[in-house]
Amino acid sequence: MIFGITLSFLILYLGPIDPVGSILGRQATAADIRQLRIELNYIDAAGNPVPLWEQYFRVVGDLLMLDFGESWTIQRETPVTELIIDRMPATLWLGFWSVVIALGVGIPLGLYAGLRANTFRDYASSGFGIIWRAMPNFWLAVIISGLITAGGALGFYRTAIVETQVSGTPDALNNLFTNVDIFTGVPYLELLSIPVPNPGPWFVATKWILPAALVLGSSSMGNEVRIGRTAVLESINSKYVETAKAKGLSSRRIIGKHVGRNAVIPLLPVIMGEFYLLIGGSVLVEAVFGINGLGNLFFNAVLGPDIPLVMALVFIFIMIQILFNISQDLLYTYIDPRINLGESE
Amino acid sequence: MSDRHTAESIREELTHRDNQSLSARITENPEPFLRWAVPMVALIAVEFATWAGIAVGMIEALVVGVVAAVELTLNYASPGLAQVVADFQAGVAGMLRSVGGMLGEFPTLLSREVIPNQGHQTPDGAWQGTFLGLQPAVAWAIRFSLIMLYALVTAYWVFRGWLVYRDHYRESDWTPTDDIVSNLRGHRWGQFGIIVLIVFLTMAAFGSALAPSTVSQNIENTYGDESRIQYLSDDGTVETAFAGDANFNSKSKGTVETNIGLMSYDDYSRFHPFGTMPNGRDLFTFMMGGARITMIVSGMAITGAAVVAMTLSMLSAYYSGSLDLGVLTVADGVVSIPQLLLLIIMSAVFADTWLGSILDGGFLLALIFAFTTWPFLWRAVRGPALQVAQEDWVRAAESYGQQPRKIMRKHMLPYILGYLLVYASMSVGGIIISLSALSFLGNGLGISPPTPAWGRAISAGQSYVSTVSWHISLVPGLMIVLLVTGMNALGDGIRDAIDPETETGEGEEAAAGGGG
Repeated sequence: MIFGITLSFLILYLGPIDPVGSILGRQATAADIRQLRIELNYIDAAGNPVPLWEQYFRVVGDLLMLDFGESWTIQRETPVTELIIDRMPATLWLGFWSVVIALGVGIPLGLYAGLRANTFRDYASSGFGIIWRAMPNFWLAVIISGLITAGGALGFYRTAIVETQVSGTPDALNNLFTNVDIFTGVPYLELLSIPVPNPGPWFVATKWILPAALVLGSSSMGNEVRIGRTAVLESINSKYVETAKAKGLSSRRIIGKHVGRNAVIPLLPVIMGEFYLLIGGSVLVEAVFGINGLGNLFFNAVLGPDIPLVMALVFIFIMIQILFNISQDLLYTYIDPRINLGESE
Repeated sequence: MSDRHTAESIREELTHRDNQSLSARITENPEPFLRWAVPMVALIAVEFATWAGIAVGMIEALVVGVVAAVELTLNYASPGLAQVVADFQAGVAGMLRSVGGMLGEFPTLLSREVIPNQGHQTPDGAWQGTFLGLQPAVAWAIRFSLIMLYALVTAYWVFRGWLVYRDHYRESDWTPTDDIVSNLRGHRWGQFGIIVLIVFLTMAAFGSALAPSTVSQNIENTYGDESRIQYLSDDGTVETAFAGDANFNSKSKGTVETNIGLMSYDDYSRFHPFGTMPNGRDLFTFMMGGARITMIVSGMAITGAAVVAMTLSMLSAYYSGSLDLGVLTVADGVVSIPQLLLLIIMSAVFADTWLGSILDGGFLLALIFAFTTWPFLWRAVRGPALQVAQEDWVRAAESYGQQPRKIMRKHMLPYILGYLLVYASMSVGGIIISLSALSFLGNGLGISPPTPAWGRAISAGQSYVSTVSWHISLVPGLMIVLLVTGMNALGDGIRDAIDPETETGEGEEAAAGGGG
C-alpha cells in the first residue's frame, strides 16, 4: 500500500507538471508565484526548495492521519474531504447497483451455462459472456445512453412510469431517506431519528442510474459468466458430486450444497476484484453519463492538476481495496474451511 | 577415467552435434527450399514498397526506443549531452524517413495507383479515373479483397516455410512446438483469433491502400496539392475541389439531409464504406489510421511488458529471496492503484514532455501501458518460473557450472514462454480497450489529434447514436470488440495447444483482461 502511495507521490511531485501555474494563470507576478510556492510547501520561507523526502513524509504523514488538506485547483481552499463527501453518494449509488447487476445476472448465467455444458444454450450464454467481456465499457455507455435519449430505440425507458433523465446526477439521491422522529414525546430520545427510505425518490434514482450501472457492471459480469461456468464444470465432474448422486440426493440439493459452494471459491476473487474494475470504470461511465461522482472528480483533479485531491482519492481507493482483500481472505475461510489463513502462499 | 570421458562426449554432443549450418543443409537438398522460396520472393516483390516501409518503420521505432532510454538516463547526468543524443535521434529518424520515402517509390501491385477507386462521372454517366471504369465502390471492394487475400496467402506461406523447415531441414525429428502447432490446427476458436490478428495487422500495414482515401488526403492535409478531387457537379460539368471543401459538404450530423451512412456515396462521387464522421471525414480511412496506431502502440506495450515480466520472473525465481521480495513489492505497488487511474495520472503528467511528441503520443502511451501491465504478466508467470527453477535439469546445469544467464535462457525460458504468450494475448485486449478509452476521454490524454484514434471516433459520434448517423460510434466499437475477442480467442487457443488437459489460471487472466 505504502508503495502505491509512494508511486503516485513520485509521479505527481517529480513529474513535469506545474500546479502553481495553473492556479494563478498567466498573469501571475513573480511575488505571487513565490508566495504560493511557499504555501504549497514546494519552497520554504527563505526560498530554498524543500527536499523531496521532507515533502514525501509530510504528504504521507498527513494522509495516514486522514488529513487530506485543501483542494488546489478544483475549488481553491475547499477541504478535500468536503469535496469527496459531496461527490460520494452518486458513485456509491452507481457502484451498488452495478455490483447488484453483475452478481444477479453474471453468476446465475455462469452456473446455468456450466450445468448445461456443451448444449446450444451453453454456447449461447458463453458466447454472450465472451463478447460482453470484449466490449469497451465506455463504448457500451455511449451506445446505451444514446439509445435511451429521446428518439432512440430504447427511448421508452426514459418516459416509462416516471419520466427521468439519463445523464446527470439524480437529485432524488438527496431525498433517498427521510429522518423520521419516532421518539417524539419520549424524553431524552427526542433528538434521535432513524432514516426511512422514501419509495418515490428511491425508484427514480434507481431507474436513473440503472443504465449506467449495467454498463459499469458489464466487465465483471463477463468474467463471472466465464469463471462460473468452468468452476461449475469442474465440480460437477468431481467424485463428491457423483457420490452425492449415488446417495440419491435431490439435484437441487446437490447443486446448492456441493456444486454451488465449491464453484463460489474461484468466483470470489472475481467478485472482490469487481471493486478494482468499478473504480477505473466509473471514470469513464461517469464521463459519458455526466454523473458528478468520484470518478469525474478524479478525472478533473488529474487534469487540474489538483495534487492533494488526487493523492487523497488514490489513498482512499487503495484503502478500500485493502479492506476488500482482507474480507476476501475472511470469506475464504468461511466458504472453504480447508483454507488456513496462517499459511502464506 | 571413463566417467570423464562420458562427460566430455556429452558436452561434445551438446555443443558440436551435427555441426552443419542451416545453409549447408539447404545446399545439400535445395529443392524443397526453392519450391517454397520462389513464391515467397514473388509475394514480397509484388508489395516490396510496403514491406520495405514496414521494415524502415520498425527500425525507426527501435532507434527511437533505444535513444529514448539513453536520453532519459543521460538527462539526469548532463542535459547538454542528452540534447546531443536527441539531435542524433532526429537526424537518424530523418534519414530513415527519406530512405523509406525512396523505397516507397517502388511500384506495388495492389496499390491505389494500380486499382484506383477515386474517379468521377462524366456527363454521359460513365466513370472516369476508376479501375476499368467501374464504379468507385466496386473498384474499392476489388482492391480491399485482393489485399486481404494477399495478406492471408502471405501469412499462410510463411507458415508453409516453417513446415518446409520442419520436414526437410530441422535436425531433430520432434520438438514440443510440433505438438502445439498440431493442436492449434484442430482448434477453430484459436484459428479465428489468428485470422483476426492477421486482418488487423494488415489494416495497420496496408491501411492507406485498403481505405478509399488516404489519411493525408482526407484527414491531415485536406487542402494540400494532392487533395484535389474531381467531381461531376449538378450542372453537368466536371469540376475540381479540395478534399477539405468536399468534407465540409459531406458531414454526418444526424439528420437525413446531412448523413452519409454505411456503403454510400457523397455528392463528390466519393465512396464511404463506413460512412463519414461529423466533420465529413471518411470513417473507413480514419479507422485504418486508427488501426495502425492501435496495433503499433499495443504491440510495443505488450512486448515491453512481456520482456520485463519475463526477465524479472526468471531472475526472481532463480535467485529468489530478497530479489523476489523486492519485485513483489514493486509489482504490488503498481497493481494497488487501479490501472485506469494510474494510466490517466501518468498520461496527464507526462503529456507535455518531449516523450509525448514521439509517434503522436503513442510512444509515451506504450511506455505507460508497459509499466502498468508488466506486474500482471509477472504474477502470471512467476508460478511456472518458480516451479522450473526447482527442476532437476536446472540443478544439473548449475552443478555442471553453466552461467546463470545461460541457464535462464536455455533451461527456464522455453518453459515459461508459453505461459507468457497466453497471458500476453489475454492482456493485450485490456490495453487496446484502455488505449481507446484514453483517446475517448481526450483532454490531452491518448493519441494526439489529428492522428486517427478509435476512441476519438466514438467520442465524435456520441451525440448521434440515436440518429441516422449511428454508424460513427457503432462501427469503431464493433472493431474493438472484434479485435479484443480475437486476441482472447488467440490466448485460449495457445493455452489449449500448450496444455490441452487443463485450464489453468482463469482468475488471473480475467484480471489481466479487464481494462476500461
